Amino acid sequence: MGYEVKSLDYYVSDREEVRKLLLLAALAGRIMLRSGAETYRVEDTVERLCKSRKDIRYADAFATPTGIFISLEYRSEMMAYLIRVKSIRTDLNRINLVNEFSRKFVNSNMSIDKGIEHLRYINQINIYNRWGKSIFGSLACAFFSMLFGGVFVDFISSFMVSLIILTVISGIHRYKTPPFLSNFIGATLAAVLSILSIYLGLGKNIDIIIIGSIMSMVPGVAITNAMRDTMSGDLVSGLSRGMEAIFSALAIAFGVGMVLNIYFKGLIP
Amino acid sequence: MNIMKQLLFSFLSTIGFAVLFSIPKDSISKSGITGALGWIVFYIASNYFHSKIVGSFFAATTVGILGELLARRYKKPATIYIIPGIIPLVPGAGAYYTMLALIENDFILAAKQGTETLFIAAAISMGITISTFLSKSIKRVKYGD
Repeated sequence: MGYEVKSLDYYVSDREEVRKLLLLAALAGRIMLRSGAETYRVEDTVERLCKSRKDIRYADAFATPTGIFISLEYRSEMMAYLIRVKSIRTDLNRINLVNEFSRKFVNSNMSIDKGIEHLRYINQINIYNRWGKSIFGSLACAFFSMLFGGVFVDFISSFMVSLIILTVISGIHRYKTPPFLSNFIGATLAAVLSILSIYLGLGKNIDIIIIGSIMSMVPGVAITNAMRDTMSGDLVSGLSRGMEAIFSALAIAFGVGMVLNIYFKGLIP
Repeated sequence: MNIMKQLLFSFLSTIGFAVLFSIPKDSISKSGITGALGWIVFYIASNYFHSKIVGSFFAATTVGILGELLARRYKKPATIYIIPGIIPLVPGAGAYYTMLALIENDFILAAKQGTETLFIAAAISMGITISTFLSKSIKRVKYGD
């Protein structure tokens, strides 16, 4: 990622140290992948971290959105490690921090224990709390509805609807709901609450309120990463992220469509 | 006047999405500017060419190139700037109107809206692809990799 390796004169002392280096690289890769980094960046970081100590002659990594494989060679002995990543939650700050950490680790004689400690610390950082994120996300949706030509009352109701959706989604995240299910629940809520806001006289244009409210769930991250992965030759990751984008979009469309269908045609047609 | 309004709203909207994705605090305003410029390009180009597809393509390319430039300048991963900037361009409205047309049994309109939505998604993908490719090939030429 554009950082030059100055001199590679940092050595590892023994086999135990190499094992720890492998663990450190695995931890770094895991944090990045779970925060929604592109797979080529994960592979690159893991490889650089492994090769930063001079005795390691060969190191290679293969990452997909659901797991990482790492192998390295130390004094004619092969070591391998496999990490399974289950849930991805976009956290751009952690990607940035791990990126900075790896640049620092590669270009210095930082001890491996200290590195692992630092990574564990990065893994716990949440720069914005849950409420801050929800409020800013709902403001984003509300301003987006203004972009689509909404009036002030649409801004208010779009904000309220999105705030409820984001709170519910981050609440059910604890139960490890699959992303498609939480998107479906969010979209259903968006449609129900938008209809409700029209009934209560809070909003004016139902289309604009719904469009604004579903913007916090659209698969923009998946589309971006799918294309960037495909471009760097990670076809498996590109395909799986593309499928993720399609299924998320379908879940949202289905959720909204179901509610609107009932609203327009009644439960019993 | 209208364009100033669009600029302001898209800036604030992008900032909101950026915080939702936990962007580093020193990059908030930069990602907001990226998203606002992307949206303005979308607004002008889609009015000029009378096509949201062309507009999305140019907008995504703008966001991608700006993201790569900022990434180079501030030594941060490019996705930090690209992801919040892309979100306003994602055709959520198109998907919604497709669904609405399907519910009203207007299949011709649904096909029209649906293909437009798909092509907008394709245009965004192409825009990101082109900017990524440009940045990679420039790096390759510069550092002789």
